[in-house]
Amino acid sequence: MSVAEIVVALVLGIGFGFALQKAGLTQYHKIVNVFRFTDLAVLKFMMTALIVAMAGLFGLDALGLLALPVPPQTYIVGNLVGGLIFGVGMAGVGI
Amino acid sequence: MKSIIAYIQKDEWSPYIAGVLLGLIGILVAAAATAFRDPAIALGASGAFESIFGGLTRLVASDWVAKNVYFRAVRLPTVTWEVVMLLGVFIGGALGAISSGTWKLRWMPEKQWAEAFGKSRVTRWVLVFIGAILLEYGAGVAGGCTSGLAIWGGLQLAPAAFVFMGGMFATGILTALIVYRRRY
Repeated sequence: MSVAEIVVALVLGIGFGFALQKAGLTQYHKIVNVFRFTDLAVLKFMMTALIVAMAGLFGLDALGLLALPVPPQTYIVGNLVGGLIFGVGMAGVGI
Repeated sequence: MKSIIAYIQKDEWSPYIAGVLLGLIGILVAAAATAFRDPAIALGASGAFESIFGGLTRLVASDWVAKNVYFRAVRLPTVTWEVVMLLGVFIGGALGAISSGTWKLRWMPEKQWAEAFGKSRVTRWVLVFIGAILLEYGAGVAGGCTSGLAIWGGLQLAPAAFVFMGGMFATGILTALIVYRRRY
Protein backbone atom coordinates (compact mmCIF):
# COMPACT_ATOMS: atom_id res chain seq x y z
CA MET A 1 0.00 0.00 0.00
CA SER A 2 1.17 3.50 -0.82
CA VAL A 3 1.40 6.21 1.84
CA ALA A 4 -1.56 8.00 0.24
CA GLU A 5 -3.66 4.84 0.47
CA ILE A 6 -2.76 4.36 4.15
CA VAL A 7 -3.71 7.97 4.97
CA VAL A 8 -7.04 7.65 3.15
CA ALA A 9 -7.79 4.33 4.89
CA LEU A 10 -7.01 5.87 8.28
CA VAL A 11 -9.12 9.00 7.67
CA LEU A 12 -12.11 7.00 6.39
CA GLY A 13 -11.75 4.61 9.34
CA ILE A 14 -11.83 7.56 11.73
CA GLY A 15 -15.04 8.78 10.07
CA PHE A 16 -16.54 5.28 10.33
CA GLY A 17 -15.66 4.99 14.04
CA PHE A 18 -16.95 8.50 14.72
CA ALA A 19 -20.31 7.71 13.07
CA LEU A 20 -20.64 4.42 14.99
CA GLN A 21 -19.84 6.10 18.31
CA LYS A 22 -22.25 9.01 17.71
CA ALA A 23 -25.04 6.59 16.77
CA GLY A 24 -24.42 4.89 20.13
CA LEU A 25 -23.53 1.55 18.55
CA THR A 26 -20.49 1.13 20.79
CA GLN A 27 -22.87 0.24 23.61
CA TYR A 28 -24.24 -3.18 24.55
CA HIS A 29 -27.87 -2.12 24.93
CA LYS A 30 -28.04 -0.44 21.50
CA ILE A 31 -27.01 -3.66 19.74
CA VAL A 32 -29.12 -6.08 21.78
CA ASN A 33 -32.27 -3.96 21.86
CA VAL A 34 -32.65 -3.98 18.09
CA PHE A 35 -33.28 -7.73 18.42
CA ARG A 36 -35.83 -7.03 21.18
CA PHE A 37 -37.51 -4.31 19.05
CA THR A 38 -37.15 -1.78 21.88
CA ASP A 39 -34.54 0.45 20.17
CA LEU A 40 -34.20 0.37 16.40
CA ALA A 41 -31.17 2.71 16.19
CA VAL A 42 -29.03 0.01 14.50
CA LEU A 43 -31.58 -0.41 11.71
CA LYS A 44 -32.19 3.33 11.29
CA PHE A 45 -28.43 3.90 11.11
CA MET A 46 -27.72 1.06 8.69
CA MET A 47 -30.64 1.69 6.37
CA THR A 48 -29.94 5.45 6.16
CA ALA A 49 -26.31 4.69 5.31
CA LEU A 50 -27.42 2.19 2.65
CA ILE A 51 -29.86 4.65 1.02
CA VAL A 52 -27.36 7.54 0.98
CA ALA A 53 -24.50 5.38 -0.30
CA MET A 54 -26.63 3.58 -2.92
CA ALA A 55 -27.97 6.86 -4.33
CA GLY A 56 -24.49 8.40 -4.36
CA LEU A 57 -22.71 5.35 -5.74
CA PHE A 58 -25.09 4.50 -8.55
CA GLY A 59 -25.62 8.21 -9.31
CA LEU A 60 -21.89 8.87 -9.65
CA ASP A 61 -21.51 5.67 -11.66
CA ALA A 62 -24.24 6.81 -14.08
CA LEU A 63 -22.37 10.12 -14.49
CA GLY A 64 -19.20 8.14 -15.21
CA LEU A 65 -17.33 9.65 -12.24
CA LEU A 66 -16.86 6.41 -10.36
CA ALA A 67 -16.38 2.73 -11.13
CA LEU A 68 -18.58 0.36 -9.15
CA PRO A 69 -16.37 -1.67 -6.78
CA VAL A 70 -16.25 -5.47 -6.73
CA PRO A 71 -19.19 -6.60 -4.56
CA PRO A 72 -18.83 -9.34 -1.91
CA GLN A 73 -19.39 -12.79 -3.39
CA THR A 74 -22.78 -14.44 -3.14
CA TYR A 75 -22.76 -18.11 -2.13
CA ILE A 76 -26.19 -18.44 -0.56
CA VAL A 77 -25.63 -21.34 1.88
CA GLY A 78 -22.39 -19.84 3.22
CA ASN A 79 -23.81 -16.32 3.49
CA LEU A 80 -26.86 -17.66 5.31
CA VAL A 81 -25.10 -20.07 7.67
CA GLY A 82 -22.50 -17.43 8.48
CA GLY A 83 -25.28 -14.95 9.20
CA LEU A 84 -27.04 -17.46 11.45
CA ILE A 85 -23.86 -18.01 13.51
CA PHE A 86 -23.11 -14.28 13.53
CA GLY A 87 -26.56 -13.40 14.88
CA VAL A 88 -26.10 -15.62 17.94
CA GLY A 89 -22.89 -13.85 18.89
CA MET A 90 -24.22 -10.37 18.13
CA ALA A 91 -27.45 -10.69 20.11
CA GLY A 92 -25.88 -12.83 22.84
CA VAL A 93 -23.19 -10.39 23.92
CA GLY A 94 -24.00 -7.19 22.06
CA ILE A 95 -20.90 -6.59 19.97
CA MET B 1 -22.18 27.34 12.64
CA LYS B 2 -22.43 27.40 16.42
CA SER B 3 -25.39 25.06 16.36
CA ILE B 4 -23.45 22.65 14.12
CA ILE B 5 -20.56 22.55 16.59
CA ALA B 6 -23.04 22.10 19.44
CA TYR B 7 -24.58 19.15 17.57
CA ILE B 8 -21.18 17.53 16.97
CA GLN B 9 -20.52 17.78 20.70
CA LYS B 10 -23.77 16.01 21.54
CA ASP B 11 -23.31 12.63 23.21
CA GLU B 12 -25.72 10.85 20.90
CA TRP B 13 -26.76 11.86 17.42
CA SER B 14 -29.93 10.98 15.63
CA PRO B 15 -29.18 7.59 14.02
CA TYR B 16 -30.34 9.11 10.72
CA ILE B 17 -27.66 11.85 10.84
CA ALA B 18 -24.96 9.33 11.80
CA GLY B 19 -26.26 7.08 9.02
CA VAL B 20 -25.84 9.86 6.45
CA LEU B 21 -22.22 10.27 7.61
CA LEU B 22 -21.61 6.52 7.19
CA GLY B 23 -23.28 6.61 3.77
CA LEU B 24 -20.90 9.37 2.66
CA ILE B 25 -17.96 7.33 4.01
CA GLY B 26 -19.24 4.40 1.94
CA ILE B 27 -19.19 6.52 -1.24
CA LEU B 28 -15.67 7.75 -0.42
CA VAL B 29 -14.46 4.17 0.09
CA ALA B 30 -15.81 3.31 -3.37
CA ALA B 31 -14.09 6.42 -4.73
CA ALA B 32 -10.84 5.27 -3.09
CA ALA B 33 -11.24 1.83 -4.70
CA THR B 34 -11.57 3.57 -8.07
CA ALA B 35 -8.65 5.95 -7.47
CA PHE B 36 -6.18 3.39 -6.11
CA ARG B 37 -7.36 0.50 -8.32
CA ASP B 38 -7.04 -1.82 -5.31
CA PRO B 39 -9.70 -4.59 -5.19
CA ALA B 40 -8.94 -5.12 -1.48
CA ILE B 41 -10.44 -1.72 -0.61
CA ALA B 42 -13.75 -2.21 1.20
CA LEU B 43 -15.71 -0.84 4.13
CA GLY B 44 -15.01 -3.80 6.40
CA ALA B 45 -13.97 -4.65 9.92
CA SER B 46 -13.95 -8.38 10.65
CA GLY B 47 -11.39 -9.20 7.94
CA ALA B 48 -8.87 -6.96 9.66
CA PHE B 49 -8.85 -9.14 12.79
CA GLU B 50 -8.19 -12.18 10.61
CA SER B 51 -5.35 -10.44 8.79
CA ILE B 52 -3.82 -9.38 12.12
CA PHE B 53 -4.14 -12.95 13.46
CA GLY B 54 -2.57 -14.34 10.28
CA GLY B 55 0.26 -11.83 10.47
CA LEU B 56 1.02 -12.62 14.11
CA THR B 57 0.74 -16.38 13.56
CA ARG B 58 3.18 -16.10 10.67
CA LEU B 59 5.84 -15.05 13.19
CA VAL B 60 5.68 -18.41 14.97
CA ALA B 61 4.29 -20.78 12.30
CA SER B 62 5.11 -19.30 8.90
CA ASP B 63 4.76 -22.64 7.08
CA TRP B 64 1.25 -23.21 8.34
CA VAL B 65 0.10 -19.70 7.33
CA ALA B 66 1.82 -19.99 3.94
CA LYS B 67 -0.03 -23.27 3.21
CA ASN B 68 -3.38 -22.12 4.59
CA VAL B 69 -5.86 -21.55 1.75
CA TYR B 70 -7.82 -18.96 3.74
CA PHE B 71 -4.77 -16.76 4.38
CA ARG B 72 -3.51 -17.28 0.85
CA ALA B 73 -6.69 -16.46 -1.03
CA VAL B 74 -9.28 -14.81 1.23
CA ARG B 75 -7.58 -12.71 3.93
CA LEU B 76 -3.95 -11.84 3.39
CA PRO B 77 -1.86 -12.11 6.61
CA THR B 78 -0.43 -8.62 6.25
CA VAL B 79 -1.25 -4.93 6.78
CA THR B 80 -4.23 -4.63 4.45
CA TRP B 81 -6.52 -1.66 3.78
CA GLU B 82 -8.96 -3.04 6.36
CA VAL B 83 -6.26 -3.28 9.06
CA VAL B 84 -5.41 0.42 8.65
CA MET B 85 -9.10 1.27 8.55
CA LEU B 86 -9.75 -0.67 11.77
CA LEU B 87 -7.05 1.37 13.49
CA GLY B 88 -8.90 4.47 12.28
CA VAL B 89 -12.19 3.11 13.67
CA PHE B 90 -10.68 2.92 17.16
CA ILE B 91 -9.32 6.47 16.88
CA GLY B 92 -12.62 7.74 15.43
CA GLY B 93 -14.65 6.09 18.21
CA ALA B 94 -12.39 7.65 20.83
CA LEU B 95 -12.64 11.07 19.13
CA GLY B 96 -16.43 10.73 19.12
CA ALA B 97 -16.45 10.13 22.87
CA ILE B 98 -13.88 12.88 23.53
CA SER B 99 -15.88 15.38 21.45
CA SER B 100 -18.88 14.91 23.72
CA GLY B 101 -16.83 14.75 26.93
CA THR B 102 -18.02 11.21 27.69
CA TRP B 103 -14.63 9.52 27.19
CA LYS B 104 -13.78 7.26 30.10
CA LEU B 105 -12.29 3.85 30.76
CA ARG B 106 -14.96 1.48 31.95
CA TRP B 107 -15.18 -2.14 32.94
CA MET B 108 -18.01 -4.32 31.80
CA PRO B 109 -20.75 -5.29 32.53
CA GLU B 110 -22.97 -2.45 31.37
CA LYS B 111 -26.15 -1.36 33.16
CA GLN B 112 -28.65 -3.35 31.10
CA TRP B 113 -26.49 -6.49 31.22
CA ALA B 114 -26.03 -6.21 35.01
CA GLU B 115 -29.77 -5.84 35.54
CA ALA B 116 -30.56 -8.89 33.41
CA PHE B 117 -27.68 -11.27 34.10
CA GLY B 118 -25.94 -10.02 37.25
CA LYS B 119 -22.90 -7.93 38.04
CA SER B 120 -20.21 -10.61 37.61
CA ARG B 121 -17.38 -9.26 35.50
CA VAL B 122 -15.93 -12.73 34.90
CA THR B 123 -19.22 -14.03 33.45
CA ARG B 124 -19.46 -11.01 31.17
CA TRP B 125 -15.88 -11.37 29.96
CA VAL B 126 -16.14 -15.12 29.34
CA LEU B 127 -19.40 -14.70 27.42
CA VAL B 128 -18.02 -11.79 25.39
CA PHE B 129 -15.04 -13.97 24.47
CA ILE B 130 -17.28 -16.84 23.33
CA GLY B 131 -19.64 -14.45 21.55
CA ALA B 132 -16.75 -12.81 19.74
CA ILE B 133 -15.53 -16.21 18.52
CA LEU B 134 -19.01 -16.91 17.10
CA LEU B 135 -19.09 -13.47 15.48
CA GLU B 136 -15.71 -13.77 13.83
CA TYR B 137 -16.31 -17.37 12.75
CA GLY B 138 -19.74 -16.50 11.33
CA ALA B 139 -18.25 -13.52 9.50
CA GLY B 140 -15.51 -15.77 8.10
CA VAL B 141 -18.04 -18.29 6.78
CA ALA B 142 -20.35 -15.62 5.35
CA GLY B 143 -17.58 -13.56 3.78
CA GLY B 144 -18.01 -10.46 5.94
CA CYS B 145 -19.62 -8.91 8.99
CA THR B 146 -22.24 -6.20 9.52
CA SER B 147 -19.79 -3.73 7.93
CA GLY B 148 -18.03 -5.63 5.18
CA LEU B 149 -21.03 -7.66 4.05
CA ALA B 150 -24.31 -6.10 5.25
CA ILE B 151 -23.37 -2.43 4.69
CA TRP B 152 -20.62 -2.58 2.05
CA GLY B 153 -22.37 -5.39 0.17
CA GLY B 154 -25.81 -3.90 0.73
CA LEU B 155 -24.91 -0.53 -0.75
CA GLN B 156 -23.81 -2.34 -3.91
CA LEU B 157 -27.01 -4.41 -3.87
CA ALA B 158 -25.05 -7.66 -3.51
CA PRO B 159 -27.52 -10.51 -2.82
CA ALA B 160 -25.07 -11.92 -0.25
CA ALA B 161 -25.67 -8.89 2.01
CA PHE B 162 -29.41 -9.46 2.23
CA VAL B 163 -29.10 -13.23 2.73
CA PHE B 164 -26.63 -12.52 5.55
CA MET B 165 -28.91 -9.90 7.17
CA GLY B 166 -31.82 -12.34 7.08
CA GLY B 167 -29.75 -15.00 8.85
CA MET B 168 -28.35 -12.52 11.34
CA PHE B 169 -31.76 -11.20 12.36
CA ALA B 170 -33.33 -14.69 12.50
CA THR B 171 -30.91 -16.04 15.09
CA GLY B 172 -30.39 -12.62 16.68
CA ILE B 173 -34.07 -12.31 17.56
CA LEU B 174 -34.18 -15.95 18.68
CA THR B 175 -31.09 -15.52 20.87
CA ALA B 176 -32.45 -12.34 22.46
CA LEU B 177 -35.75 -14.17 23.10
CA ILE B 178 -33.94 -17.05 24.79
CA VAL B 179 -31.53 -15.03 26.96
CA TYR B 180 -34.11 -12.42 28.00
CA ARG B 181 -37.05 -14.87 28.31
CA ARG B 182 -39.92 -13.10 30.08
CA ARG B 183 -38.09 -9.79 30.06
CA TYR B 184 -38.06 -9.79 26.25
